[in-house]
Formats: sequence, C-alpha cells, structure tokens
Amino acid sequence: MKFRILLAAVLTAFSFAVAAQQKPIKVGFSMALTGGLAAGGKGALIAMEIWRDDVNKRGGLLGRPVELVYYDDATQGANVPGIYAKLLDVDKVDLVVSGYGTNLIVPAMPIIMRKKLVFPALFGLAANEEFKYDRYFQIMPAGPDPKLDWSRGFFDLAMAQNPKPKAIAIVSADDEFALNAAAGARANAKKLGLNIVYDKTFPPATTDYSPIVRAIQATNPEIIYVACYPPNSVGIVKSASEIGLKAKLFGGGMVGLQFAAIQQNLGPLLNNIVNYDFWVPEPTLTFPGVNEFLAKYRVAAVGKGVDPYGHYLPPFAYAYLQVLGQSVEATKGLDHGKLAAHMQKATFDTVVGKVKFGKNGEWATTRTLQVQFRDVQKDNLEQFSGPGKRVVLYPKEWKSGNLVYPYKQ
Amino acid sequence: MKSTVFWGALATIFAAGLALTGVVQNEYYYNALYLILQGTLMAVAWNVLGGFTGYVNFGSAGFFALGAYTTVALNKALGLPLPLLILVAGVVGGLVGVGLGYLTLRLKGVYFAIATLAMSIVIETLVVNWSYVGGAKGSYMLTPDTHLWFDSYIQMLFVVMLLLTLAAVAISRMLNSSRLGRGLSAIRDDEVAAECAGVPTLRLKLVSTSVMGAMMGVAGAPFPYFVTFVDPLSAFNLFIAVNAIAMPMIGGTAHWIGPVIGALLLGTTQEIVKVTISSEMNVLIVGVMLVAFITLAPQGIVGLARKLRRGRPK
Repeated sequence: MKFRILLAAVLTAFSFAVAAQQKPIKVGFSMALTGGLAAGGKGALIAMEIWRDDVNKRGGLLGRPVELVYYDDATQGANVPGIYAKLLDVDKVDLVVSGYGTNLIVPAMPIIMRKKLVFPALFGLAANEEFKYDRYFQIMPAGPDPKLDWSRGFFDLAMAQNPKPKAIAIVSADDEFALNAAAGARANAKKLGLNIVYDKTFPPATTDYSPIVRAIQATNPEIIYVACYPPNSVGIVKSASEIGLKAKLFGGGMVGLQFAAIQQNLGPLLNNIVNYDFWVPEPTLTFPGVNEFLAKYRVAAVGKGVDPYGHYLPPFAYAYLQVLGQSVEATKGLDHGKLAAHMQKATFDTVVGKVKFGKNGEWATTRTLQVQFRDVQKDNLEQFSGPGKRVVLYPKEWKSGNLVYPYKQ
Repeated sequence: MKSTVFWGALATIFAAGLALTGVVQNEYYYNALYLILQGTLMAVAWNVLGGFTGYVNFGSAGFFALGAYTTVALNKALGLPLPLLILVAGVVGGLVGVGLGYLTLRLKGVYFAIATLAMSIVIETLVVNWSYVGGAKGSYMLTPDTHLWFDSYIQMLFVVMLLLTLAAVAISRMLNSSRLGRGLSAIRDDEVAAECAGVPTLRLKLVSTSVMGAMMGVAGAPFPYFVTFVDPLSAFNLFIAVNAIAMPMIGGTAHWIGPVIGALLLGTTQEIVKVTISSEMNVLIVGVMLVAFITLAPQGIVGLARKLRRGRPK
C-alpha cells in the first residue's frame, strides 16, 4: 500500500514536471488595464491569473502548462485589431478570449472570424448581433435576447404587484450600454401596456442630476427605470435622496451599484432600490468553487486599486476561462472546430453556476438577477461581503427574499 | 529635394508597400503600419494649417470623425465602395474646413485654437444625437468579403492608407514650395504685413483650412473598416488630436518633411510601446517628447538638423 502511494506520488510529481517542461498553451487577449474600464479590467485580469494558477497547479491543460499573453488596450477600440493580430501572428497564441466590454470585443471580431477561432467573450451586450458568428460565446448571463432580458425581471416584479403599476419613467445616459438597456426597457414597457410618462436621455458627463430627477418626479411615475454607468448612477441616487423622490419601484439598470466602493459611498441611500446584478453573496447563489475563488481574489486584490470583493466581473472572468479549459479537456485538443462544437452543446460547471450557451452565443436562458438593497448601514464596507444586503428577488429559482414594495427611502 | 528624386522616392515607397503585401503575411505589421500611416496623414494635414499658415487647430479629431461618419452614413444609405467613400469624406471635410475658415477668420492665436476645439465638440454633439449613424450607441461596419487581389482586408487597407498618405505628402510639398505656400508663410510670420503686401490672406486661409479638412476627412474615411465598430468615443478620441499636433511639433512644422519624420518616429515608438510596455504609456511618451522638443528643439528635428548643418565648420 505504501509503495503504491509512493509510486502515485512520484508519478504525479513526474507528470507535473513534464507539464512544466512542455510547451505551454498560450491564451491571448487584450484587456482594459488603463483608461475608462481599467478598474474592471484589472479585476478581471486578477481572476484570469487565479484560473491560470489553479489550472497549472492541477497539471495544466492536456498536460501542458497554461500561459496568459495579454496587452493593455487602454479601453480604446482602435488598439484592439493590432493587439489580436500580434497575439495570433507574432506571439502565436493557441487560444484567444476577448477583452472586457462590447466596444473592445467587437473590433477583434473580423480577425477572429477570418481565422475561425472560438471566442469566449467577457461582458459584451449583444456584441454578436451583427456578426452572427457561431464560435462566439459570451459569459455575461444576460440571456438569449440581451436587450429585453436585461430588464425583464424588473418588469415582472412590478407587474406582480397588486394593484399593478401603470405609469413608468425611463431615463438613461447617452451611451452605448445605457441606450441598449433603455431600448429593452421601453420594449418591455410597451409589451406590458405601461404608460411611458417620461422617456429621456442625458449626457454621460452630467454632474447635476437634480433637474433630471425633478423632471421625472413632475410626471408622477410609479416605476422609474434608470440605465447608466457608475458616475451617473451615484449622481442619480444622491439626487433622488436629496429631492425625496417618490415612486413604487426605483432602479433597474444602474451600473456601479454592484461595486463595493460605490456601495460604501452611497450607504443607506441604496436601501430598497431594485437593480440588476449577476452574482451576489446570497445563499441561493453559492455555486461550487465560488467562495474559494473569491477568497483568493480578495488576497490578490489587496493594494491593486480594484474592487476588494470582486462580486461583479471577476467570477465571470474566471468562468469564461473555465469554459475554455473544460472544452479543451473534453475535446482533448486545440482544434477550434471541435472546441466550438463542444461549447455549443455542453453545459459547463463554473464558479458562476451551470453555463449553457444558446444559438447566438449568449446564455441559453437569462440569469440577470434583480436584487434589492436592504438594511444597508452607513460607512461599513464589510457589510457587503456577506449575505443579506442584496436580496435576490428574480429569477424565482435564485430568489432569497421578497420585494419590499412600494419603494421608500 | 529635386522633383524627380521626390517623385521617384514616392513611387519606390508605394512599390515597396505593394511588394510587402506579397511577401509578408503577418497581419500584425499591416495593423501597426496602418496606424502609423494614419498618424502621418493626420500630421501632414495638421501642418498645412498649423505649420505653414500658423493657425493651431485643436479640433483635428472632429475632422477625422467627419470622415469616419461620412463612411458610416453613406455605406448605410447607398453602400458605396471604399474609394468613393474616401472621396466624399474628403469633400465633406474640405467643405467643413471652408466653413471653419469663414466662421473663424477674425480669430487668431489661442482664440482660433479654442474655436476649432469648440467645432469638434459641436460635431460630436451632432453625431451623438444622430441615431442614423448609431448615435451614442455606435455603429457596426462589417468588413467586406472582397479585397481585390490582396490576401486580407487589412492588407488592402494598408495599401489604401499608404497611397493616401503619399498623396498628402505630395500635396503638402507642392503647397510648401509654391507661390501659395509662400503666401501662407507670410500669413504665419505677420498677417497684417502680408495683407499690406497684397497677399490675399482670406483666400489663402480658406485654401489652407479646406485642404487640412479634406486630408483629415480622408484619413478618417477607412477607419470604420479598420475597427469595425465606430462610436463617438473612438472617432472623436482626444489622442487623435494630440498626436496630430505632437507629430509635426516633434518633426518640425516649417518644412513639409517635418510632420512625416515626427509621425514616423512617434508612431513607430507608440506601436512598439503598445505591445512591449503599455498602450497608456503612449500618452506619457507623447507628453515627454513634446516637452523635450519644445524646450530643447523648438523647430523640431528638421530645425535641429538645419542648425547642426549651419554650425558645422566648412
């Protein structure tokens, strides 16, 4: 028995040594490490490095160590085609994944499509809508119809109330994401027969939100759907508090309310806002491996100027590499045709739960959560690390609490 | 430089570019070269107004974006081929250049510079609110399947940009060494004196702004095919405007070759730094080189070379 254990240990050590000596499998990508999306991009990179280390500790992929080859795209789309050309033609990477965000995914598509590569993508909103590329696989759980699915839960929650609300205000920033989210909300509202009493956009560089919030209030909407990026989200929430905004349901598509620093900044002003999210530390969402991953992330994130808890993007950055890694193991090779065929039909076990892709490369079913902030205290960052502060209301299978309705500050 | 040598050099460079597409398959080099050439074309264009005429333009990104969005709009409306799109973008850029000249002809120095910046912001605001071209959401441009006899679309784009850049350099040289160019120099040195000496300053300034606008529009026209997704953030990028100013300043603004030297030096450095250190370092590099040249060699590399030649014992 002892001999067998010793033999197994020696063989394992030998296989690790062989893996270490073998030519690595190179995974290439561009990432926003500076510029507008740098805070998210740096967090994603930490997650990807954790995945690389985890895989290499287990002996690599196909017995070969994994190496990440990446360049900073500075959040500028014009840098992306050159970076992917370099990755593929000079660095000779075996696999590629996308950078973070729609604007930085799309410029890579022509070269990826021309070379017929599988392309796992990180947080692109309907980025494959025009290309219809069958080897594109997007990890953000927006669902098969991202624009509509983004706000579907918000509307389902509203329409489940008695009496049903009738009037809605839709306000969004004038940028790519927010306009898409608002378009989806508009379509959902029309489908449900809601009366849209306010439907306007504002410039992303707006600093004073009081006139906007007052104008919304003047139309007396019961539901207020907001779609915007972090600086706008903070401004809208603060103005809503200052003005004493009255509505029955407030929130929807505000990016930024998922980040710990902003949560700490806004504190109790967040209470009872209902907003989208993708993963929160609620008991219904403790998928295998996610807590272990987040524990490693928290250690790695110290002093790097990124979200200290990393609930929003990092688990998905880890997961899209898990999808790729599991596909390589399952197909026992790096043939992109076989990898794509596997990704199209398989269900993947990842730290963000089971992932199954639909025909357009988006998740086959949406898992865009609607969460409600509860009992948020002032100046307390630690409170957001655990459950209870962002209660999952939607979808039903992940629900961890009931909606507090109507909204009260 | 003699005309025969100049035209021979241009023909040789173009032939070398064409030959390159037959020898090198690696797409990375064409991507990098495309961006360097785009920078060179923008620098040459900026120098027509900023260097020859002495009117500093901070709104280069606006003209560049005009070209890019002309492509987006006309491709969507009429599905025109790339050469026609480039031509129309040049006309649109030229017309807006003339408009800029008329509207700002009473402004000088820093006031003119601020007006150009304001114009760029006005154009950006119009584009953001023009949903036909994607508005703030941006617009997709699928790369066409056909690319003549080239192996890939980026090879063709590189050759197109090479041709446009060489044409711009030729126009710039002709302007610099012509009677018209001497008139522009007179405006740069002392506009009132030039006017008194009979130089038609208004007409020459309009020629200068329209040539600059047309060249920048042409530079922006193929951009949507290069990135495949154009949004106001990328088309009106401040970095485009900063590079368009920095490259001629580093190379030297008084001579037609100055912006070419500056663009090749700065553009190549930026492309190397992008894949060795970080894309963001490019901003620092531009800043440091600009400060260094303005302090140590205000006439740029061309001025420095002339100074050294004059100082050399005979």
